[in-house]
Amino acid sequence: MKYIDYDILDFLSDEFFIHWVKNPDENTRHFWEKWMVEHPEKREVILEAITLVRSVKYANDEEMSDKMYLDTFESIINSGKDKYQNQTSLKILWPLYLRKVVAIFILGFCGWMGFYHVVVFENQPVETEIEEVLVYRSTSSGKKSVITFGDSSKVYLNAESAIQYPKDFSKGERWVKLTGEAFFDVKKNGQTFSVYTNDTEIKVLGTSFNVKEEDDELSVALVSGKVQINDQKGNQVRLQASEMVVMKKDGNLFKTGFDALEMTGWKDKVLVFKSDSFQECKEKLEKWFGVEVSLEGRLSSNWVYSGTYRDESLENVLRGIAITSGMKYRIKNRKAVLYK
Amino acid sequence: MKSILKEVHQPVEPKIHLNHPEPIQKFENKTDDEVWRAFDKGNELAFNYIYRIYVKVMFRYGSQVTKDGELIKDCIQNIFIGLRRKRGSLPEVKSIKGYLFKALQREIIRKLNLDKISNLKSEEIRERFFPISLSHESMIIQKENEVEKRMKVRNALNKLTSRQRQAILLLYEEGMSYKEIAETMEFNEVKSARKIIYRALATLKEILKG
Repeated sequence: MKYIDYDILDFLSDEFFIHWVKNPDENTRHFWEKWMVEHPEKREVILEAITLVRSVKYANDEEMSDKMYLDTFESIINSGKDKYQNQTSLKILWPLYLRKVVAIFILGFCGWMGFYHVVVFENQPVETEIEEVLVYRSTSSGKKSVITFGDSSKVYLNAESAIQYPKDFSKGERWVKLTGEAFFDVKKNGQTFSVYTNDTEIKVLGTSFNVKEEDDELSVALVSGKVQINDQKGNQVRLQASEMVVMKKDGNLFKTGFDALEMTGWKDKVLVFKSDSFQECKEKLEKWFGVEVSLEGRLSSNWVYSGTYRDESLENVLRGIAITSGMKYRIKNRKAVLYK
Repeated sequence: MKSILKEVHQPVEPKIHLNHPEPIQKFENKTDDEVWRAFDKGNELAFNYIYRIYVKVMFRYGSQVTKDGELIKDCIQNIFIGLRRKRGSLPEVKSIKGYLFKALQREIIRKLNLDKISNLKSEEIRERFFPISLSHESMIIQKENEVEKRMKVRNALNKLTSRQRQAILLLYEEGMSYKEIAETMEFNEVKSARKIIYRALATLKEILKG
């Protein structure tokens, strides 16, 4: 049978197809992307199959702790009593208090999972009547907002952004759908917390990170904890604290460090310019204050501006920019003008 | 954001985690067969590699069978201690992951004494293995009627037998081939792995096409 004759079940059980969805490589990508173009009529079936393959997950999301990982390694090596005894003790890395903390966490987690299994999982088959009611929140330019969920996780929503999440968020699965920019401070409760942007999923347990979606790229900057990011092209990236990934629409991605104040200062009302061009300054000001910014006259082509403002008025920020670049400014009717 | 891109060091390939030490680089392009034979010959780097790559996925896999993390840890430990003792005469292994998963599931069942308790009780416990959750995919959320469909699919999946769910999870969550699934689930023929998947999916047919 040829792929053109496939129905959804055939795709769902085809190794070559699943391989493309799960771990796309040059071969599979080359074939399937061409094939999709050739057979637009099959697009819907393909998308449905992709969705299902990607959605199926282990219900138990417990991970091995680093402590357990190291302890197990050590026990294995030491039990051999053979010539490989010169391994240095890995336990040095784990002071006693930390072990206790980890042990308590694991116990709590196991207890919770036990509860989940008995109370929640057992009830799943009769769950069909539950309606998922979505809540929608958005901000216009010049406005930011903070949303605290039932599990005490917080979302700081930057200007010109929106999120959507289930009404009884803390009871069921924890997820939000984001457009624009938001900072997430996720509280650990054993359940994963997922952030969906247009075509990417960001999965965490408990951590804080910034997500920014722009026209042609998505950036995720991790302040603490761990996150895992999956996009629809099949890329999977994991970040450590202080790492950031920039994912381009075309599938390219870069990992890099980031300046925490520059990336996440906005949630604490800190406006940061860092070697920004006039266009970048203009965009930041317009989004931040909800005004229109324009320039009269010309600036030299290598003009850049750096500066940090903590909870400052538009006037003070404009004054700062004007002074360092020998310009003047005026504000009228929510329109700001910089001029020579 | 120009200021961020300026700091980019170099592109990184997706799927590769940072901080990989030497053993990973040495073995990552080798076949399972080659890695396993190096381990069999007593190569400690090969052991480190196998440990690094598979122990955390083994733990996760074990968590689908029992919630007792300490028990899973003990089982993993026993398996590797046993394998290291038998170095020099280890069996041939085509898929390391499949082999280790199989060994882990056997070990957990042994530890849980499932073979010793009554058949009925044991069956009941085994049927709870490998529950499936259906994560939200962004594509789905956008359509209202898809929410209901997703629930139906999830319920249908969790009404499958635990062996069927196991096969589905190995295929989709672990990304295994039918050959690896057959190895993991101890089927003699690859055909049986195909069959169990197809039967499981057939029960979803109406929901998916509706």
